Amino acid sequence: MNAALETPHWLNESFIHSRDFFDQCPEVRDFQKKQRDLFLARGLPTKREELWKYTDLRFLSNRTFVKPSITMDVVQTIQAKHIQNSASVRLVFVNGLFSEKLSDVSLLPEDVICCDLKTAFKNHAEKIKKFIFENVDTNRFPFATLNAALMTDGIFLYIPKHTTMNVPIHILFANTEKNILTASRNIIVADENAQATILEEHCELGGRDYFTNVVTDIYAQPNSRIYYHKIQKESLDATHIAEIFVNQKHDSLVETYSLALGAQLGREDVWVNLNEHHTESSINGFYYLSENNQHIDNHAQVNHIAPLGTSKMVYKGVLEKKSRAVFNGKIYVYTNAQKTVSRQANYNLMLSPDAEVDTKPEFEIYADDVKCSHGDTVGQLDAEALFFLRSRGIEKKIALQMLTRAFAADVLNSIKNPAILAHMNHLLNEMFSDD
Amino acid sequence: MLSIENLHASIQDDQKTKAILRGINLIVKPGEVHAIMGPNGSGKSTLANVLAGRDGYDITEGNVHFEGVDLLAITPEERAALGLFLAFQYPVEIPGVNNMYFLKAALNGLRKHRHLEPLDAMDFLKTIRSKIKEVGLDETFLNRAVNEGFSGGEKKRNEILQMLMLEPKLAILDETDSGLDIDALQMVAKGVNSLRNAERSIILVTHYQRLLDYIVPDVVHVMANGQIIKSGDKSLALELEAKGYGWIEGSSS
Ligand SMILES: Nc1ncnc2c1ncn2[C@@H]1O[C@H](COP(=O)(O)OP(=O)(O)OP(=O)(O)O)[C@@H](O)[C@H]1O
Ligand SMILES: [Mg+2]
Repeated sequence: MNAALETPHWLNESFIHSRDFFDQCPEVRDFQKKQRDLFLARGLPTKREELWKYTDLRFLSNRTFVKPSITMDVVQTIQAKHIQNSASVRLVFVNGLFSEKLSDVSLLPEDVICCDLKTAFKNHAEKIKKFIFENVDTNRFPFATLNAALMTDGIFLYIPKHTTMNVPIHILFANTEKNILTASRNIIVADENAQATILEEHCELGGRDYFTNVVTDIYAQPNSRIYYHKIQKESLDATHIAEIFVNQKHDSLVETYSLALGAQLGREDVWVNLNEHHTESSINGFYYLSENNQHIDNHAQVNHIAPLGTSKMVYKGVLEKKSRAVFNGKIYVYTNAQKTVSRQANYNLMLSPDAEVDTKPEFEIYADDVKCSHGDTVGQLDAEALFFLRSRGIEKKIALQMLTRAFAADVLNSIKNPAILAHMNHLLNEMFSDD
Repeated sequence: MLSIENLHASIQDDQKTKAILRGINLIVKPGEVHAIMGPNGSGKSTLANVLAGRDGYDITEGNVHFEGVDLLAITPEERAALGLFLAFQYPVEIPGVNNMYFLKAALNGLRKHRHLEPLDAMDFLKTIRSKIKEVGLDETFLNRAVNEGFSGGEKKRNEILQMLMLEPKLAILDETDSGLDIDALQMVAKGVNSLRNAERSIILVTHYQRLLDYIVPDVVHVMANGQIIKSGDKSLALELEAKGYGWIEGSSS
């Protein structure tokens, strides 16, 4: 086929050159150059590839993107995006660039590192280099490689041994511009017996037609617990492509919750490696597609590499109008991973006959002593229940909201931090406020 | 209160049109209790559903007025706000929707339609606690999902609880007595009788004369084949109990 189609023309020398976000760090620049070559050699994925079968990226080749910068004062508007009724540590990025003015790290314990990448390179160079120059499989994760090539900024969070951080860490990415491409990279590390609660949120503050390409690495050291939440509520004409890599050591727990409400095209890959024994992984997703031609694609894979791991993967979605959702969940159990317990499910609620879902839950199991189960359903809203609620005097809009929330409930309700749960529920409720 | 004139309703079943209600005429005045009896499949629940506003029926002829309003022209929630209440023959389970939250949403939904302030949380709690006692359920039912895992009788009690909370002007009880033990039956009767007053009307759909010992009807109707084929006073119910439906069905056709 036409190779030129697969190589985005905007990814040229001058575009790369213009993205001098890490000019002060020659090491980063060299790394970025190498990553760009790797990406160019691979090209944009096409629908001929199994992992991209339903997601057409051809429009990306013909786009033009501009370099992000902080142009607007959003001091007032950003407040509405804060987590309400709870203290939090807040790192705010506007168009991918860290804004110290909008951030608040006053509640950060002294020994915890939580800062933007440039600060991390300055103050914690040794630590961050251990994580950031990781080479990923470009063929499998082209957008992780692209992200490395174009890296804008991001956070470095490091919770030292035996430290529990109860205050949630809110990493807020707000987009105010048109046609920007941001490539944020977040690195989250919980050292032995440490605990952290994180909310990574992507939202729009006037931005249009932009492209968010984000990569988040999560490292859970032995006995650590990480509660990671992500909100994707980009502008409805934006593109959002995210990779979340989770690496777990023995006796660690990682829970992830992804709420996808925005973007015209949203794709998220979650890739979990349970590297040692006795790990626990809970991967959750909820998507609400409200617009014509909206397309949300979730790919999640949990790799049980060592014995006695437990994993749960539940994705649920609601589709309105002529929208389309893709789900591909895979549990891979290595020969050595005896006594694995795993469950995965994908449930979709179609509010329109024009909506479409492509769901594919998979297991690939090489150990013999395992317990695995899965379920997937595509359903219509229960018309009986809707009529019942209305017959009791509840407006149709509210009744729909109650039923949809009930449908979402068992995904979101296992969120332990009440302020984050309320924050997510609030955004979900906003989905019902029009028409 | 309620006037039904020559109501015809049909459904589309396998591309075929099936007439279910075939000319119903009924007038219910304020304060009256009407009982509707009739064989299985005669259209009693269909009538109740059409009145409450369920989708899926074609109204091919006729009119319904409730409190002077053209009932068939308004939404189910507007009908509820006007004071219509249907206790369902088969109450639906709604996993994930909390019973208390639902009752509050319903009550405040009605109040909003009537341009009233939402009920204060404390007042609501007080009311619901006393009413749930009346229907013989314990308070844990408030924290469960609507009807989920409720026994048949508990579902019916929950319907009555909703009725007591919403205080409708016209309550239609579709076989609320079916599947109830004697205690529950008396409880339902007590609940209904406590609502009974000169402004409030009740339609009881039932197969059993027994309920009518507790809630004495002003009028008894017999429905067959989508029509009301006979109406009379409470002695008609006794006669039906003794003789079955055959004698009227035979005489009407
Ligand atoms: N949605 C539907 N599709 C097909 N048939 C229907 C539908 N709704 C009602 N009917 C049919 O209409 C007829 C009347 O049903 P309805 O439930 O009103 O009877 P009923 O008098 O309430 O009976 P019962 O005493 O058993 O409750 C039945 O033959 C039923 O099968
Ligand atoms: Mg019936």
